Parts: sequence; C-alpha cells; structure tokens
Amino acid sequence: MPPQPTSDSAAQLKRFPVEVREAYQRFRSTGDITALHLVVLAVVRDYMPRPVELALTDEMRLIDDLGYDSLAVAETVFFLEDLLEVRIENKELVQVRTVGELRGFVTRKVEQKRSAAA
Amino acid sequence: MNAVPSPLRRVAVTGLGFITPIGNDRATVTANLRAGRHGLVPVEFLGNPDLPVKVAGTVKGFTVDSPSWRNWIWPPEYEIPRETLRGLAPHGVYALCAMTQALHDAGLSADAIAGDDTTGLFCASAGSAMLLHHNLAQMHAVRGERGNPMGVVSSIAGTLNFTLAAHFHITGAVCGFVSACASASHALGYACDEIQLGRLQRVIVVGAEELNAETLLPFAAMRALSGASDPVLASRPFDAGRDGFVGAGGAVVLILEEAGVAAARGARVQAELAGWGQAADGHSVVMSHPEGAGLRRAMLRALAQAGVQPADIDYVNAHGTSTPVGDRAEALALRSVFTDAGAHPRVSGTKGLTGHPLSLAGAMEAAFCVLSLSEGFIPGNPHLVHPDPACEGLDLPRATVDVAPRVVLNNSSGFGGSNVCHVLSSFQRCWKL
Repeated sequence: MPPQPTSDSAAQLKRFPVEVREAYQRFRSTGDITALHLVVLAVVRDYMPRPVELALTDEMRLIDDLGYDSLAVAETVFFLEDLLEVRIENKELVQVRTVGELRGFVTRKVEQKRSAAA
Repeated sequence: MNAVPSPLRRVAVTGLGFITPIGNDRATVTANLRAGRHGLVPVEFLGNPDLPVKVAGTVKGFTVDSPSWRNWIWPPEYEIPRETLRGLAPHGVYALCAMTQALHDAGLSADAIAGDDTTGLFCASAGSAMLLHHNLAQMHAVRGERGNPMGVVSSIAGTLNFTLAAHFHITGAVCGFVSACASASHALGYACDEIQLGRLQRVIVVGAEELNAETLLPFAAMRALSGASDPVLASRPFDAGRDGFVGAGGAVVLILEEAGVAAARGARVQAELAGWGQAADGHSVVMSHPEGAGLRRAMLRALAQAGVQPADIDYVNAHGTSTPVGDRAEALALRSVFTDAGAHPRVSGTKGLTGHPLSLAGAMEAAFCVLSLSEGFIPGNPHLVHPDPACEGLDLPRATVDVAPRVVLNNSSGFGGSNVCHVLSSFQRCWKL
C-alpha cells in the first residue's frame, strides 16, 4: 500500500494549482506514476530562479536551459524529499542535470521506497 | 623623497531611501517628521495579550511575517525577482525597496552602479532572528538531514550585504557592520573614510531591521522596553516619566559620493558628511557609562574631524531611546560637550516618533539629519512633557523649529559601550568651504 499523504505534504502544495494538488492525491491513493510526473514538473517550474513560460520537456537542462543554479537544484530536491518522504544523497544530486533525469530519478526513489516497504 | 598625503576628499550625500514607521518615501517621512506625527501602533506578539509590549513602530504596506518568502507582500512599485527573493530576510525586502528609492533619489540607474568598481555597499543588520529560529527548528526536527539551502544567507548577520550585493552587482567593496544600535552609524562612518581616503568614489549605506517577536521580545527580558500602551507616552526620550524603548523596524539607505564625482555627474548634493568619531565606554555589556563618557569623546572626535566647534552645531539628533539610563547618560554627555562650552544646539530624539529600530537607527537618523539640512527644519520632541532634571540647560524644543540648520550632529550608542557620532553640514556650507 502506498504511503498515505501527511498533513504537512498537503500544506506544502497549498500554493500549487488545483490540478497539481489533485495529481498528488491521485499518486498517493493509487500510486499512479503519471500523476507523480505532473507534480515533479510543477515543482521544477516553481523553483526556477527566473520563471519563464516554457513547456517543460525532458531534454531541458535545469541550469543551462531553465536558469537554475546549484541552490535552486538543492531547493527543488529538498522540497521533493519532504513531499515524497524519500532521501536523496548529495552524490545523487549532482547527477541530475535535466528535467527528464530528475523525473526518472524521483520515480526510482519512490519505487525503491515502495519495494523496501513491501 | 617623502610621500605627501593628499588632502582628504569630501563626502556628499546624494540620495536617500526610506521604509520607516513614519513613511515609506521621502516626502511622507519629511511631512511626518515636520508635523511631529508618530508611527507607533498597538501590537500583540505570539498571540499573547499579557506581554508587556503594547506598541511598536511598525512598517506599513508590507506583509513579511511569514518565514516563507512565498507569502510576503510588498508595495507593487518594487520589482523583486524570485532569484533575489529566495535569499532575502524580511528586513532585506525593506532594504531592497529603500535602496531602489535611494538610487532614484540620487539620479542613479541600477545599470550605473552594476559592475562599477568604484561603488561599494556597506550594510548594517543583526540578521533575522525569526528566520534563524525557523531554520534551526526545522533542522532539529529532521535531525540535521536537510534544510533550506538559502537558510544561511537569508538569516545570518551579513544577509543584507550578501543579497543586495548580488542583486545590484556591486563590485567596489561589500561589507557588513554589527555593533547593535550603533551598527548603521559605523557603516556610515567607515563609508565616509573609504571615500575620504580615495578607495571608493561612492558607497551605498544600508541599515535595516525586522520588527517581530524574535527580534523584539528578548529586549523585554532585559526590561529595556516601555510597557506603556499609549503611543504618545510609550516613547518619550528625555522625559522624566520614560520607562524604556519602543521597538521598530524598517530600512534606510544613504548614498555617499566623493563631492567631485557627484558634481561631475550633476547630482543634487543634499548634505555633506563632514566627519565622524567613535569612542567606547569600557564600562558595561549593556548599560551606558553613567555620565556618557564614551559618547562625549565620540562627539568631540566627530567635531574635531569635521573641523567645527560645539557652537557651530545647530541641531543634535540624539540617540535618545527613551530608556531611563541611556537618556540620562546622553543628556550628561551633551551638557558636557555643549552647555559647558556655552553652546546651545537644539536637541531632539526622533525615536519618540519612530520607536527604536536597533541596527537601523544610525542610518535612519543620519537621513533625518539630511532632511533637516536640505528641507530646512529641526524636528522637535512632541512627546516630551516633563524633561528629566538631568537635561537642565539643554534646548529640547517640543515643536518643530522652522529654521534651517547649517551643521548638525547625529549620535548613536550600542551595546558594549560603542558610541558613534556624525557631523553633517548643509549644501551651502559644503560648497562654500
């Protein structure tokens, strides 16, 4: 059974659009990874130091294309750690360069957590 | 061959920016200062109406009480990009707005100072106790496993220098000052030195402070705050009935330029920072020397550097926090420097109107002195009813005096007996000398 959402997680998403909060709830209740991807993309957009209206694609590089700096990468990862209750190591953090890598990385982390709990 | 030292360069004040309890722009601050209107309002901290802190000098038009910048609101005329915002403390928001104003007042664009190796930034801030507490509580909650990556730069004592230097791309020099309630006065003094010595041509001096439970309530534990609930009675420097200071927040920015550089670009010179002095009490971690010995020496040193006599001073903006011990010590020091020399400058404590904004105080009151010189008035002491007998011989006008001072003195004192004084003079005097 997937972990239940905590009240803290729900509060952290308060600033996000309703479709993002609904996707998060869907992921929590059904384990739907597609819903998780929508949440990750929303978080990536939320932590861009200089927000731009761009459709995010997997190939986009966080630092070179989206104006991220190392602090924004850390902010994003820490937020996802809290939200998804996973642990991401520094050496893993530096390997995340693109939106797709972040998405895949978060998916693997969540799946690892599920297998460990099973 | 002996090196011949070059004569000291002169320092002009060319820009001011205000986010204060008595107004968030130069015109409003001037009008309230002139009218003797205070900016103190009822407050309640931590949802506890029983606390002995009833009024404070709040900043209006901003909502920065949340530890998350995402919840902050500031006046819409200031654009603060997310890249900058994420590293700011609440008082950093005030500071950025005040600096934007000051640049405009000085006729300088952000592009003019970005990457200019002759422009420096000196800041005074005690950091953000609120953010520091929040971040450390979070760190303990997760047993140190993660935290806000911007937690350090947004909360420690250098937060203003870090964030404003990055935002405005300052390349001349960046520095921070921490001497409690003398901090901004130190920043201003050393900025003056940098220009006089020819190291920098322009220094932007920033003082800022938060007003929240984390910053103010520790002073209640020291029994340093007024318990009065009537704003008119709560902050009344030099009154026999004073019972402590009233907290305040805000940010003030002064732009100093080497006079020749200011003249060359056609800047409006609002005042000259003619000199400054500092001296320490060597007496107590908290209390002023009972006779204001350090403050007296700081005043004399400031007068000496500016090349003026006590009789030349038309107005003193006192440190005057409305504490029983501090005001008495300052009154005795003022009497020693001025009354005993047969000089009788007007003296006022503008914290009666603003409250006491701690690290910011020296910059705020130096800027008030510039307004006094450039707008032609001397602020009064509208809350003063019964002067403390220790003030005998001092000229403490109740109402604003519609006389333009030519030379003024600004006093500041901080914990540990740190005393700093500035001498500022009028535009006319500046250019006649």
